[in-house]
Amino acid sequence: MRLAARPDPLSELYASHHGWLIGWLRRKLGCPEHAADVAQDTFLRLIGSRDVLAGICEPRAYLSTTAKRLIIDRARRQAIEQAYLAELAALADPLTGFPSPEETLIAVEALTHIAAALENVPAKAGEAFLLHYLDGLTHAEIGERLGVGPRMVRKYLVQCLLACAPAEPA
Amino acid sequence: MNSRLPATPETLAEQAADWIVRLSADDPGERQQAEAGYRAWKQADPRHAAAAAHLESLLGRLDDIRSRGTQGPARQAIHSARPRRPPPRLATALALAAALLLPGWIALQSAPADILFADLQTGSGEWIARTLADGSQLSLNSNSAVDLEFDAKTRTVDLLRGEILVDVARDSSRPFVVSTAHGNIRALGTRFLVSRQDDATVLSMIESRVEVRIDGQEQAVVVEAGQSLRFGPGSENSLAAIDGEMLETAWQQHQLVVRDRPLAAVLDELARHRPGLIRYDRSAIAKLHVSAVVPLNDTDRSLQLLANNFPELRIRTLTPYLVIVDHEKNH
Repeated sequence: MRLAARPDPLSELYASHHGWLIGWLRRKLGCPEHAADVAQDTFLRLIGSRDVLAGICEPRAYLSTTAKRLIIDRARRQAIEQAYLAELAALADPLTGFPSPEETLIAVEALTHIAAALENVPAKAGEAFLLHYLDGLTHAEIGERLGVGPRMVRKYLVQCLLACAPAEPA
Repeated sequence: MNSRLPATPETLAEQAADWIVRLSADDPGERQQAEAGYRAWKQADPRHAAAAAHLESLLGRLDDIRSRGTQGPARQAIHSARPRRPPPRLATALALAAALLLPGWIALQSAPADILFADLQTGSGEWIARTLADGSQLSLNSNSAVDLEFDAKTRTVDLLRGEILVDVARDSSRPFVVSTAHGNIRALGTRFLVSRQDDATVLSMIESRVEVRIDGQEQAVVVEAGQSLRFGPGSENSLAAIDGEMLETAWQQHQLVVRDRPLAAVLDELARHRPGLIRYDRSAIAKLHVSAVVPLNDTDRSLQLLANNFPELRIRTLTPYLVIVDHEKNH
């Protein structure tokens, strides 16, 4: 996997710009720890897309754009977590109990992933997905609800599952 | 590695998705066939199983949510993050991030995009102090954000959220202005606290005096040491007497000092100093007022202190991120 002849472009990028990125994030976010976290995640994300590295002309613009996206992802996760907790609280029956923090964490992670994926499919397809996998409606019931045929419902579900699948399977 | 099936990742994922959709077909016969076919497909190649595993686990979590009966909250959560239209550009994405963080019912937690990228910002429970370019001291307490605009003519601190303590370095040629959505506070050299709330800004003067220009009012208001001014649409722009020295000490010791304040406002303030939510029924506790000094860096203890003071309150910590305050009138 490692090429011996040329210096690894990622190491090079890291060495030249990691300090700058942390400084930039610290100014933007105000919090040094948060800045270090986001910088770390930014480089982690780059490792996940190594083929892009060769084509980067303006590394700092690229890094800051990636970092901004990560900040947005974190904001999405936070919004989902807050909405989920608040709605749970509204629903919670003190007698039947409340999901444990672990259960809640796992649910929030899955919901964040799904919310991000569903942003990339048409609204109707996303609705079909939620009606089926969250609410447990049958294909026929969904078709009726959305005014489409059963084949379209299947197409919607496949489309959503593809959007949820990791970009580069292991 | 050589493989018999020259399948690209896309088609592998497509195959997995197709099988999974067939597994929950309406027709029982088709479901049975799909189960057998899916099993065989996964066994045929470890990459097939890998492509399926991620989706299986994701759908498993949705099953868990359904068996818990919490589909409603899950749906709300997904919708809270859903844009009206797909965001084609980063600028739109930033606006989306702003919308994401603005669910109306937790206005306190709200953070528009300009806060995401504010010049100085603190998270829950975080306090920072900075010396600005002109030598002025600026401290931010929990969940606060400011933008700084310093040039040859003015020194402006835009208080986007939260609460700051300012110790202004004297510079007669450049006024020091703290600006909020509700007006501007103009000083030459002085020390004061500014707290930005949803519908009002609260200024507490510790030393000297400032001039406040309230949005929508012609006349400026002068506020002197030992006075506080609450201004903005949610207030009557009224001056009140305060103990500035005590407030400053409290700030340094990370304490909250309140005198005859509504309990709801105190809970909101505590919520600002911790991650997660404090939920309560505003109307149920509307009559309760508090005078207290409680720690802001240990809000669990503060809640306990409040509970001790109000036997009729029931404070439950459901998760570290969710505290529910009830009023038990009949128990």
